[in-house]
Amino acid sequence: MQILVVEDEQKMAKALREGLEADGYFVRVAHTGEEGFYLINAQPFDLAILDVMLPGHDGFEILSTIRRRGIKTPVLLLTSRDAVEDRVRGLDAGADDYLVKPFAFPELLARIRVLLRRGKPEADERFQLADLEMDPARRVVTRAGQAIELTPREFELLEYLFLNRGRVVSREMLARDIWKETARQTPLDNVIDAQMVRLRKKIDGQFEPKLVQTVRGVGFVLREGDEA
Amino acid sequence: MRLRPRRLRTRLTLWYVSGLAALLVLAWAGTCGLLFWQLRSQLGHFSIQEIETVEGLLYFTPQGHLQLKEDYHNHPESKDVIERYLEVRGGDGDVLYRNDRLGGRALGGAPVPGEGVGGYSERSERLQDGTRVRAVSRLHVLDGRPLLIRLAHSEEPLYARLRELFLASLVILPPVLVFAWLAGYGLARRALSPIEIMARQAQNITPEKLHARLPVDDKDDELGQLAKVFNETLARLEQAFEQLRRFTSDASHELRTPLAMIRSVGEVGLQKDGSRADYRDIIGSMLEEVNRLTSLVDNLLTISRADSGRLQLHRTSVSVMELVRQAAGLFEILTEEKSLHLCIEGEEKLQVEGDPIFLRQALVNMVHNAVKYSPPGETIFLRVRARDRGRVAIEIQDQGPGIPPEDQSKVFDRFYRVDKARWRESGGAGLGLAIAKWAVEAHGGVIILESEVNRGCVFRVALPRANGPEEDGARPG
Repeated sequence: MQILVVEDEQKMAKALREGLEADGYFVRVAHTGEEGFYLINAQPFDLAILDVMLPGHDGFEILSTIRRRGIKTPVLLLTSRDAVEDRVRGLDAGADDYLVKPFAFPELLARIRVLLRRGKPEADERFQLADLEMDPARRVVTRAGQAIELTPREFELLEYLFLNRGRVVSREMLARDIWKETARQTPLDNVIDAQMVRLRKKIDGQFEPKLVQTVRGVGFVLREGDEA
Repeated sequence: MRLRPRRLRTRLTLWYVSGLAALLVLAWAGTCGLLFWQLRSQLGHFSIQEIETVEGLLYFTPQGHLQLKEDYHNHPESKDVIERYLEVRGGDGDVLYRNDRLGGRALGGAPVPGEGVGGYSERSERLQDGTRVRAVSRLHVLDGRPLLIRLAHSEEPLYARLRELFLASLVILPPVLVFAWLAGYGLARRALSPIEIMARQAQNITPEKLHARLPVDDKDDELGQLAKVFNETLARLEQAFEQLRRFTSDASHELRTPLAMIRSVGEVGLQKDGSRADYRDIIGSMLEEVNRLTSLVDNLLTISRADSGRLQLHRTSVSVMELVRQAAGLFEILTEEKSLHLCIEGEEKLQVEGDPIFLRQALVNMVHNAVKYSPPGETIFLRVRARDRGRVAIEIQDQGPGIPPEDQSKVFDRFYRVDKARWRESGGAGLGLAIAKWAVEAHGGVIILESEVNRGCVFRVALPRANGPEEDGARPG
C-alpha cells in the first residue's frame, strides 16, 4: 500500500513516515504542495494524507486541483483548525476524511484503514485470540471454553478491540465509536478507564496470558504477549 | 470636494447663521411688501379723492371744449396737483381732455366695457414711456354727456423707496450676519469645549490605563450624561480586560504545568540508562500529559469560540429528561464503582428548544462534578420540573463536601477548582462548569449554585421551555 504524505513540518512528516512504515505502508513524503501535486500526478497512490496549512498553495487548493484532474485517490486532510466551516470546506473540496491536529496516532491508523477498506464489505466473522473466542453474531464470548458474561457495552468494547486486534486504540476512538460522543471535550477518560478495568477483570481475571493491555499514555490494545 | 465643514462648531454656526439670514430676509421682504401695499393703496385712495374734486371742476366751454377750472386750488403749485395725470374721454372713447403733465401720452388704451361704472376701477399700469402709475377711472355725466375720467399718480417714488430699503438692507445685513457668526461661533465653541476636553482625556485612556475616567462636571446635563455613559463603558471594558488578562495568565499557567512535567520527565529519563520498559513508561507518562494538554486546548478553543460568538447553536426540540438520562448514563460505571445512587425524577414531557450537544455537555459537566465530589455510598438527585413563566428547572444535587460561601461566586469562573491539590487525580482543568454556564446562558437560561459546607451542592438550571404540542396552550408566547 502506497501512501503519499504532504506535510511541510519536518518533524511531523518524519513521525508520520515512521509511524506509517511501522504499520506496513510504503510512504512518500512531499514537503510542499507543489511537490505533492507533482508526485500524485506522476504515480498512483492508494491514499494521500494532506496537511491543510502548507506554504504556497494550501491543502484545499491542491485537493480541488487534483480532484478537477479526475484523480480519485482517497484524501485524508490534516488541520489544526477545528472549525466546522473548515471541515465543510475540506469535504466540499473532495476530501474523504478530516483529522484535527493534534491527533492520536492510533486514530490516524484507524481512519486510514477505514479509507483503504472503504467499499469492501466486512466479513461477518468470529474472532479468536489465544484461548479467547468471540462470536459477534451469537453474542457469545468464551475464554478457555468458559462462557463469559458481558454487558452490551463491554461486548461492544471487546468487539472493537478485536476489530483493531494488535493495534492500539485511543480513548478518543473509544469515546467516538463506542460512546458515540461527538463533543471532544466531554470528560470521559475516567469512564473509559473504569470500563476497561471491568472488561479486563472479566476477560483476563484468572487467565493467562493477559490479553487486554493498557499502553500508557496512548490507549488500549488486544494482543497476545507484551509488544507488537 | 468636501462641501461639509469638518468641525461641528463650524457646522453649527453655519446652520445658525443661515437660519438667521433666511429669517431676516423673510422679515425684510415682508416689511417691504406690506409697506409698498400700504403706500399704493394710499395712493389709490388719494386718486379717488382727486377724481371727486376733478368731477366738480370740469366744464364745457360754449364752444363745446371740455375744460378744467384751475383756480380752485389754494396752492396750484401743490405737488400732488402738479404730479397727477388726468385724462377724460367721451362716450365714444375720443380724448376730450389731457392735462399738461400727461402731455401727448395716453393714460391707458380705449375704454374697457364697464370701466368706472358704479365705483372706481383701480389698477396699476405703465405709460408709453414706461412710467409705472396707479390709475383710477370714474364714469361721470356732465351736461348730459358721459365722461370717463382717468386719473393717475406715478408709482415710481414707491419703487424708489423700495430700492432704497433694499440697498439699506444690503448694507445692514452683512455686518449683522458677521456679528451673528462671531457670536454663534463663540457660543458653539463654549458649548462644545467640554467635548474637546473629554476627547483629549479619552485619547489618553489606553488598555494599560483603563482605570482612568472622564470628569463629570454636571451629571444632569447632556455632556454629563455622555461622560457618565462613557465611564460606564470604560468600566465594563476594564472588567472585560481584567477578565481576559486573568484568563490568559491562568491559561498559560495551566498549560505550563503539563509542559513542565513533560520536560522534567523527559530530561530525567534521558539522564539514566533504563530498560526498554522504563523508557516505555517514561514516554507513556509524557503522552499522558500531552493528552491533558490536548483536552485543555480543546476546552480553551471552545471557550474562545463561545466568547467571540462563533459557536452556533443548532436548535431543535429536546426532551429534558432524555438529556438528563443520557448525561447520567454516561457516568453509570463511575457511580457503580463508587456505590453512588443516581436518582432521576421529573416530568417526562418537558421540552426545551436548544442545541442538544451543548445542553448535554452542560449537564454532563455538572453531573461529572457531582460524581467527582460525592463520597462513596451517597445519592445524587437529578430533578426536572416545570416552573412558572414558561421555564424548566433542572436540579443536580450532590451530598459532597459543599463549597464554602466565599468561593461560591467563583465556581463558574474559568480554571476555578475547589480543591486545588486534588485536581490532577480527578482530572479536569476547572473549565467544565464555566462551559456549562456558557451553554446554559447561550440558551437564554440561568444557572445558580446553592451550597453549604458539608451539606453538598445544588446546581439549579432554568431554561426557557419549548412550546411543544403537549403545551396546554394557556401560556402566552
